[in-house]
Amino acid sequence: MITPKLDVNDVLVSCQSVWKIFGENSAAAMKAVVERGLTKKQILQDYSCVVGVSDVNLEVRRGEIFCIMGLSGSGKSTLIRLLNKLITPSSGKVLVGGRELSSLSAAELRAVRARQIGMVFQSVALLPHRTVLENTAFGLEVQGVAKAERLKVAEAALAKVGLADWIHRYPDELSGGMQQRVGLARALAADPQVILMDEPFSALDPLIRRQLQDEFRQLTKELGKSAVFITHDLDEAIRIGDRIAIMKDGMIIQVGTAEEIVLNPADDYVAEFVAGISRLHLVKAKSVMTPVSLYKAAHPNIDLSRLPTTHPDADLDQIIGLAVANDRDAIAVIDSGVVAGVITMRDLLRGVQGIANEYAQPAGETLVEVSS
Amino acid sequence: MNIENFPDSFDSTVDSGLAWLSDNGAGLFDTVNDALKGIYEGLLWLFNLPPYYVVAVLIALLGWRLAGPRFAIATLIGMLFCAFIGLWSETMGTLALVVVATLMALLVAIPLGVIAGLLPAMDRMIEPTLDLIQTMPPYIYLLPAIALLGYGTGTALIATFIVALPPAFRLTSLGIRMTPNEFIELGNASGVTGWQMFVKIRLPFAMPSIMAGINQSLMMAFGMVVIAGIVGSGGLGETIYGAIRTLDIAKSINAAIAIVILTMVLDRLAQSAAAAQGGKRS
Repeated sequence: MITPKLDVNDVLVSCQSVWKIFGENSAAAMKAVVERGLTKKQILQDYSCVVGVSDVNLEVRRGEIFCIMGLSGSGKSTLIRLLNKLITPSSGKVLVGGRELSSLSAAELRAVRARQIGMVFQSVALLPHRTVLENTAFGLEVQGVAKAERLKVAEAALAKVGLADWIHRYPDELSGGMQQRVGLARALAADPQVILMDEPFSALDPLIRRQLQDEFRQLTKELGKSAVFITHDLDEAIRIGDRIAIMKDGMIIQVGTAEEIVLNPADDYVAEFVAGISRLHLVKAKSVMTPVSLYKAAHPNIDLSRLPTTHPDADLDQIIGLAVANDRDAIAVIDSGVVAGVITMRDLLRGVQGIANEYAQPAGETLVEVSS
Repeated sequence: MNIENFPDSFDSTVDSGLAWLSDNGAGLFDTVNDALKGIYEGLLWLFNLPPYYVVAVLIALLGWRLAGPRFAIATLIGMLFCAFIGLWSETMGTLALVVVATLMALLVAIPLGVIAGLLPAMDRMIEPTLDLIQTMPPYIYLLPAIALLGYGTGTALIATFIVALPPAFRLTSLGIRMTPNEFIELGNASGVTGWQMFVKIRLPFAMPSIMAGINQSLMMAFGMVVIAGIVGSGGLGETIYGAIRTLDIAKSINAAIAIVILTMVLDRLAQSAAAAQGGKRS
């Protein structure tokens, strides 16, 4: 997988203490939350309102695939609809490209939706009376792009998702996986900076699903798009996402890279989720290594230069391969030409269990953010 | 007030009410009557302009286009039969009545149905009126019409118009309301305007329902146009009514056969047009 360097400061989409409360008394319920800090349960009892999204803060950076993982009822579908104002937040701010959505006029909001932020639906929603090509051109048609031009762009978008031979077919002639590719092509045709993916692959069978996940990630990275990807499947989130937010009861309980979440689950709920996830491709050398000074103190007689070497971003699978191939019980981690640390067999086994070396540098360039 | 006198006094109240209405609205009702009659007679003149076999062939050709060769041949035979039993001009009269009344009904029902589909409050306002229209026996509509417009085509058209309104209205409104939610979301997420949402998303999904409504209205109009023979509508309905009064059973049966043929032809044409619309892509 290719992971280009992300610019941490270039935020495309952000949510600032965003709430969504559903129900007839939602305004009063929202007020009660602000003034008295009621819990979700109290709001349901006192106001018969349902809290969909509760005090969410998040930032999606340029070029990043941001996964939101949660089970059904966790509020993830509501959250993604707040990002293009298909649902209006009860409180808090949603910014797209630095502009607050609630401050936009109807025409400005339409322009943002048409040009800046695309969406792909679980149900695909291809118009049945239009060909694949016409469906793909829908967004451009709405923007008033001339027919020849929009069909050309749509054709190019379809070629990108591998459907060049299907452009004159109708949606019901396509398989589920192909329909979902059309959905993606339709979103790409309008050339938005951010694509919202609302559980797009959930209804597909496992093989097609994995294929589409890989293609999606590759395509998004090639085109330099950002994406917010909703899923209920942690494996999918790990496969696709640069960062993952875990949602429960309308709240984001942890945000981080897959490695960060696996190594440092924020609570028991997350821990239980990641329990079954294989660490082999997630945990990196730099997270499990013992610092050189400690290693030398414990093993004064060992010559570091004779150890097999690896790099800080090597995953456990590679390190195990190295350990098996060389008859040594330690591996040196070389960063910019110097030995940054040493992985002992104990470190390696603890890494497989999902436990980082307590003295190692924290994983990744960002720390775990926990929203309260 | 004596209870025995009540029916008389009620009758005279209604009488004087209607008399007042026809006196004061005479200009309006005459204009309406003349306009309706004018449209009907214009269309009838058009239908009777070419020889009967030309019209029969034209209808058969339309049938060919919409429903295929077998239906076209059946249509041709049926239409020619209407001519051979000597009821051609009456058949054309009924056709003209149905076409005029249905078009008037659609002109009102479809735009109103669209608005009601978009505004549930309006739908709730109109629904009870439609329930009332559909609950009452269609015969009833002839009475106020005949009091205001008199014996003749105008009355028949107005009564038929009223009866043909509800199905097209209801099914249009339903079709517009039933747009699947995911497509509404798609439209909004793509940044459509209100008009684009209507034309590009709601209307295509509503089309099959609207076409079904048109067909239903057409059939309702057919039923009513025959009943309206009693007020001198012209066409086959009047033929049947006249034949029954003179106990000319053979003629009334001939006219009934012509009605059945025309109904089947029109129903099939409308259904095929609807199917063609539904199956049409892009």
